[in-house]
Amino acid sequence: MWRRGWGDAMADLLLNAVAMRRAADVLLRGVGGRSVMLRMPAPASAGDVSEQLGLAVPEFQDVELAPVVLTRGNEKTRTMVVSANAVNAVVGSMGYSAANVLFADAFGVLVDGVLMEVESVTETELGGAPAIYRLILQEPVALRV
Amino acid sequence: MQNARDTFYVTLRDRLAALNPARTMLVRSVVRPGLLVEENELASANPPANVFRLRWTALRVDAKGALPLVAMGCEIRYATDGNAGNGGMDRGRLIAAMDAELGAAVNASPQNVGKRNYTAVPAVAMGTNVFWGDVVFGNAAVNGERVERVATVEVFCYQEAGEL
Repeated sequence: MWRRGWGDAMADLLLNAVAMRRAADVLLRGVGGRSVMLRMPAPASAGDVSEQLGLAVPEFQDVELAPVVLTRGNEKTRTMVVSANAVNAVVGSMGYSAANVLFADAFGVLVDGVLMEVESVTETELGGAPAIYRLILQEPVALRV
Repeated sequence: MQNARDTFYVTLRDRLAALNPARTMLVRSVVRPGLLVEENELASANPPANVFRLRWTALRVDAKGALPLVAMGCEIRYATDGNAGNGGMDRGRLIAAMDAELGAAVNASPQNVGKRNYTAVPAVAMGTNVFWGDVVFGNAAVNGERVERVATVEVFCYQEAGEL
């Protein structure tokens, strides 16, 4: 005998990666999500030896990442959790192939005017796609407590 | 001595590129020959494999002569994981190919080149030469699936009057 609810998928929506990312967004905003700037170097100059010799430095551009939540790790690091939606938007707009390439190329994360180096990146998958990224940021030596 | 460093890098880069034009790397969306100077690039925790990384180390200045003689230690670091398609089982062959390329580029005659000043555009020839000894290969180190080696070259130049 068929009865409603028996054997039916009750929560297709929750298994959907889009819904998971939205849920992650909401959670991050709910716990005080803020914005930071990801500092990206501009593409290198093709055939220009001056950059290879350290005579010219690349220009940088800052792109906003939000919502993110920052917590203190040890005395040298801070942990930043960022929504995959925000990361995907930057990956798409800047023409990167993947989030890990974006973070590998990033010069650092600007938090309240302080530039922190990206030490490592891990992702959490929900519903088969990344929902949040966790970055370990290294504080500049001058600010370590 | 910066002019000598720049000249040695450009010379070695061009020699390596002539030996194996396929050894390239992607640096901020631009394809470049597979030799970089670490101190001239953005700091990275993940050094690239299958390319040469040049690092300036020791420095000695002998001021007895008419022109000070500068001796600079130069480390050239390189590593390979092998080809993923071959399960990394060809990493020994790939590091051997890099050994051969580096040896051929550094030890090729002449082991000197006219010093150039690259702060000017185009670069300006200076009055003395940059010269170097043979490359000395260190032991290969195995780090997980990665095989790494550090080779060293001693590079010499004369410090010209007014040169920084």
